[in-house]
Amino acid sequence: MSAVPETLPALAERADAAYLDFVEGFREYILGKGADFEDRLNEALLAEQVRRGQPWGDVEQIREYVHSLPLGRLRDRLSRTQQEMKWFALRRSFEAQRAELLAELERYDTRGPGRLELDPNFVHPPYVNVHFHLQPGGYYKDALSGYLYHYGTKVFFRGDNDHDELHSKLVARVPAPADGRVERILDLACSIGQSSTAFRRRFPNADVTGIDYSAPMLRVAHRRAVMLGDEVTFAQRLIEKTGYAEGQFDITFAFIVFHELPLRIIHETVREAARVTRRGGIFAIYDFTGTRDKSPYQRYHRWFDARHNGEPYSQDFCDCDMNAILADHGFEVAAASVGQRSGGAGYMTHWFATRV
Amino acid sequence: MSELTQQTPEGGTPIAGENPVYLKDPVLDATVRMVVELAAQVWIERERRITLESLLEAQGTLSRAAIESFKPDAAQAAALKRERARFIEDVFKELRRIPPTA
Ligand SMILES: C[S@@+](CC[C@H](N)C(=O)[O-])C[C@H]1O[C@@H](n2cnc3c(N)ncnc32)[C@H](O)[C@@H]1O
Repeated sequence: MSAVPETLPALAERADAAYLDFVEGFREYILGKGADFEDRLNEALLAEQVRRGQPWGDVEQIREYVHSLPLGRLRDRLSRTQQEMKWFALRRSFEAQRAELLAELERYDTRGPGRLELDPNFVHPPYVNVHFHLQPGGYYKDALSGYLYHYGTKVFFRGDNDHDELHSKLVARVPAPADGRVERILDLACSIGQSSTAFRRRFPNADVTGIDYSAPMLRVAHRRAVMLGDEVTFAQRLIEKTGYAEGQFDITFAFIVFHELPLRIIHETVREAARVTRRGGIFAIYDFTGTRDKSPYQRYHRWFDARHNGEPYSQDFCDCDMNAILADHGFEVAAASVGQRSGGAGYMTHWFATRV
Repeated sequence: MSELTQQTPEGGTPIAGENPVYLKDPVLDATVRMVVELAAQVWIERERRITLESLLEAQGTLSRAAIESFKPDAAQAAALKRERARFIEDVFKELRRIPPTA
C-alpha cells in the first residue's frame, strides 16, 4: 500500500498534539459511555415524563428540567469546556507558525491538478458572520480558518475521520442517477473539500466542483486535493446563488451545511439546487436528524448546541420539514432514513432526492 | 475577548455570551475548568515521558540515575521557568473569567 500524504496541518509542538489528543479522548468520554451523560439524562427525562403524566412539550420545558439536575449542568460545563480547549490550543499552535502556514498555502494556490477560483470582489452576507462551533473568527475571518477547521473537525469526529474515512463512506452511499450518467458533480459548501475528492475518486472521469464562501477553506481544500493528486475545481461562491447554468450537474451534494443556514437560505439553496441539477439528477443531503425523531435528551442537546456551541440556525433546521421543502422545489425524495448515531458525526439523516 | 459578541446571525437561537455560567456559581465553573485543564497537562507530560523513555531505552543512552542528578544550566533553567509560566497560565487563566461582581 502506498502511503497517503498527510494533509492535516502540523502543529507547532508535540505538546500541542498531546493536548488535542487529550481533548479528543475527553470528548469521547463525555459524549459516550464514559461519563454516560446521554443515557442517564435521557432516562431521567423519560421517568419525569411518566411522573408528569404527559409527553414533553417545547424544548424550554426540557431545558428547565435538565438545568434543575446537577448532572445536566455539569454536562453543559464540560461540553463547553472541551470545545473552548480545542480552539485555544489550535489557535495558539497555528499562531506560532502563521507565516510558514500562509507561505505553504501560497505555494499551492496556483499548482495543479485542479484549480482554485477565488473571487476578489466576494461580499460575505451578514448571516454567515457566526462563529460556528465557537471557531475563532468563524469559517472565514482568519486566513488560517481552513487549517483550524481541518484539525478542529479531526478532533470533533473523534478519530472516525482522520483520513477522511467518514466522507468516503457517505459519498459511497450516494445513489447514481438512474440513467447512470455522471459527468459533473457539485459539492455545495465543500469546506476543505473532503467530500469533493471522495467524489472524484468514486467517479474518476467526472468534473468535480466544490464551492464555499470561505476563501481560507477553499485554499486548504485546493492544497489538500493537490497533495492527494485529485483534480477538483474549488470556487468561491454562495450555495444559494451559484451562478452556474441550469441543469449543469448530474449529482449535487450537501454534507452537514443545511443546519448552518437561516430558514430563508435553506429555501433558496434548495431552489438553486433544483435549478442547477439536471432532470433525473440526484440531490444528496446528509444532515442532522429532525426534532420529530429525537429523544428528549437529543432535543435538549440540540438547544444546547444551538445556544452554547454556535449553531444558531440548527434548531429551526431540525424543526423544519425538509421532505416538503424538497418536494416544493421539484425533487422526489427517494429515501429519508431515520438518523442513527454515526460515530463522531452524531445523529444524522440523509435525503437522496431525484430532480423530476 | 469580545469576539463572540460581534457576530451577526439572521434569526435563529440567540447565541450565549463569552462566559456562560453553568454551575450557578462562576467559581464552581472555573474550578471544573481548571480540573479538566490539569488533566490535559498531566496527559501531555505522561505522553512525553513515555515517548522519551521508549526512545532512550531503545537507544540505550540514558540511565535513570542521570535523570535524577540532572542540574539545568542557566539557559535551561530560564527555559524551565518559561515552561512553568505557560503551565500555570494554561491551568489558571480561568480565574480571570470570574466576574468581579456576580
Ligand atoms: C460544516 S461545514 C460543511 C462540511 C463540508 N460539506 C464537508 O464535506 O466536510 C460548513 C461549510 O459551509 C460553508 N457555507 C455555509 N453557508 C454557505 C453558503 N451560503 N454558501 C457557501 N458556503 C457556505 C462554510 O464556509 C463552511 O465551510
